[in-house]
Amino acid sequence: MGEVILTMKNIDKSFPGVHALDHVDFELKRGEVHALMGENGAGKSTLMKVLTGIYTKDSGTITYEGREVEFHNTHDAQAAGIVIVHQELNMVGDLTVAQNIFIGREFKKGFMIDDRKMIQESKKLFDELHINIDPKAKMSDLTVGKQQMCEIAKAISHQAKVIIFDEPSAALTEKEIEDLFAIIRDLRKQNLGIIYISHRMDEIKVITDRVTVMRDGAYVGTLITDECTKEDIINMMVGRVIYEDPKTHSMVPADAPVVLKVEHLNAGKMVQDVSFELRKGEILGFSGLMGAGRTETARALFGADPKTGGDIYINGKKVTINSPEDAVKNGIGYLSEDRKRFGIVVQKTITENSTLATLPKYMSGLFINKSAEKEVTERYIKELDTKTPSADQLVVNLSGGNQQKVVIAKWLVRNCDILIFDEPTRGIDVGAKNEIYKLMNRLAAEGKSIIMISSEMTEILRMSDRIIVMCEGKKTGEISIEEATQEAIMDKATRDIK
Amino acid sequence: MENIKQNPVVKKLGFNRIILFCILLLMYGVFSVIIPGFASMDRIMSILNYTYFLGFLALGVTFVIATGGIDFSIGPVMFCCALMAGYTLNTHGAPVIVSLIMSIVIGFCFGCFNGYLVAFVGVPPFIVSMATMNIAKGLGSVFTKTQSVSWPQGNDPSGKGWFRNLVKVGDFPIGLLIFAVAVVILYIVMNNTKAGRYILCLGSNKEAVRLSGVNVRKWQMLAYVICGALVGIAAIFFVGAYTTVQPGLGDTYNNEAIASCVMGGTSMAGGLASIGGTVIGVLVISLLQEGIMALRMTKEVQMIITGIIVIVFVYADVSARRRRN
Repeated sequence: MGEVILTMKNIDKSFPGVHALDHVDFELKRGEVHALMGENGAGKSTLMKVLTGIYTKDSGTITYEGREVEFHNTHDAQAAGIVIVHQELNMVGDLTVAQNIFIGREFKKGFMIDDRKMIQESKKLFDELHINIDPKAKMSDLTVGKQQMCEIAKAISHQAKVIIFDEPSAALTEKEIEDLFAIIRDLRKQNLGIIYISHRMDEIKVITDRVTVMRDGAYVGTLITDECTKEDIINMMVGRVIYEDPKTHSMVPADAPVVLKVEHLNAGKMVQDVSFELRKGEILGFSGLMGAGRTETARALFGADPKTGGDIYINGKKVTINSPEDAVKNGIGYLSEDRKRFGIVVQKTITENSTLATLPKYMSGLFINKSAEKEVTERYIKELDTKTPSADQLVVNLSGGNQQKVVIAKWLVRNCDILIFDEPTRGIDVGAKNEIYKLMNRLAAEGKSIIMISSEMTEILRMSDRIIVMCEGKKTGEISIEEATQEAIMDKATRDIK
Repeated sequence: MENIKQNPVVKKLGFNRIILFCILLLMYGVFSVIIPGFASMDRIMSILNYTYFLGFLALGVTFVIATGGIDFSIGPVMFCCALMAGYTLNTHGAPVIVSLIMSIVIGFCFGCFNGYLVAFVGVPPFIVSMATMNIAKGLGSVFTKTQSVSWPQGNDPSGKGWFRNLVKVGDFPIGLLIFAVAVVILYIVMNNTKAGRYILCLGSNKEAVRLSGVNVRKWQMLAYVICGALVGIAAIFFVGAYTTVQPGLGDTYNNEAIASCVMGGTSMAGGLASIGGTVIGVLVISLLQEGIMALRMTKEVQMIITGIIVIVFVYADVSARRRRN
């Protein structure tokens, strides 16, 4: 680590009704990877937005390269060498890699855009970073991981001195994460300052030098990564010890009946001849890499996408499921991996979302019985400990974890016997994560059957009674929790990949 | 200012709705001052004549816009209903009641057609309604052999003018009563029934509603059907007030109806709709058109002013929403 490049002192920022940043301090050195951690809503993003000029601070000072600075927009910040690699990629799919990297500052030859020079410059950038991407490839043809690499290359091409990574690994596979870390180590060697925002505890230990923790908009403390444990960081983040213990053996009685049987399910390339059984009170984990076909299997089962073949039996009886309507009628609920797109209606209230799948039950004659509706919603707000001022709150105003609870409430109100949880804790902070784990265990104990799709190995091992592994659209293995290890799962998850 | 906005009553009614209502009153005041004799019962009756048919159009299209769709065919469909029903009445000697029902049925059928294509076939609403607009214009012209149609006057010796009583009896505006009842019913449909709930939710996030096990196509189509039937009713009030219908027209009413919705706070992106807002919007446009006429200015001036009001209100709504997020 070198000298200090960036110091933020006493940064304060309020929005109407929210004290978003409460006199926060932060320091970054050259050649350092500095993790910024905290639960959702702790103020990490706000702090970074203040730094890069998206928000104006109410008070406090930012010192950058020895001078006090104040950026008014991201352009200013970029010009000074501070860039963000966003969680959501800002790429134009139909343009080439090179065109994307130099978007907004294209090289020109007279009036014409000089594509050849942009391609050369991109190549130079990629060589520096030791990444192998064709600058002429169309952006939309690349994997998410490669797209992320392009975003990094773009950031570096701004002569960056400070790079902020905002949850870069959220959508990457293990291999891609390794590549990403190789690049980050490279950048560290080149004496850049790197701020790394992530929820994944394991990564923090691997890649970062120091950790700054925030909680409820306030600075909690800074630790040297090598000198602290995972638990130290978690305790600082939530102020309490958490996490359900991993399962060592299946909680399902040996004589539990099969509630769902899927035979030879087919749906395009991503679901090929998938068969499995789900028993009463069981949590069945679906493991595999990104694009293994787990979500596609769930969607085909739920009737969200058309299937080309296969039989589904519920409680031993064959059923026809051609639409989500059929699935819900048969007692299946589906919690999507993409909450915003497929789970919640963000501009509507918690009440309207909670009864969305059960509205016919809350009618008196032609009219919606709003008091009954509110009553059941309030019951589940209490039961799931959803943090909200009232049941009339718009879902858009809730944090990720609480939005997820609203989606869960929707299916609990419906009283579904079979629940499909697709990445139930994605983008959710540790505290809320644990609550969702507890809830899933409780539901299973009450006799509900759960299919849990997860890309987090620890989550799979912690929650599942049995694990099904998929690879490239096929089921490649079935492992009981007693025999499950990370290695065994990984081996099956990569079986068909050459 | 912030305090006023946070007041629960203001919040319930909607700040922009209240402002729009104040503008309505202000406009009426200004017109009354600068135009001699504007503040008269005659003028109010004339404004109301415009309010009835435009109101039914705008309420109908509010349902469609709530789903995130759009319908550019409402004006021409209204004329098509009035032409075909009126022609049947005059030329084939159908009873008035049959013609009135026919008008609603024709509107209903157009609604089904639009709704089916949008919800079940998946054609974008913009394209569907553009096509329907032309179909409605053409159908009206062909059916009447490109003749304008005049519905019977109130004093028609045949006694067929009785339907004008739906608009007014003597000096009493019966139409206002009917319109008020319709507004209340539609408010309840939008806010207290399954149909309204599903329409608003699917306008906001159709896929999430579908994955909740709701037959979204059915409810999406229903919005267009409701719109169609209301357009058929609008046609009755149009001929009840204005008598003569020309084939091949009606486009301008699309814009005025959609403008009424939008300035009343219904979001073009879908998911948010205000029946009350639409009604105030319709009143603003009706008043404006009467005032402009009384000032002996042309329809074009009204268009310019309507355009400006729409932009101001959409901007106010959008920026308020952005601040909230």
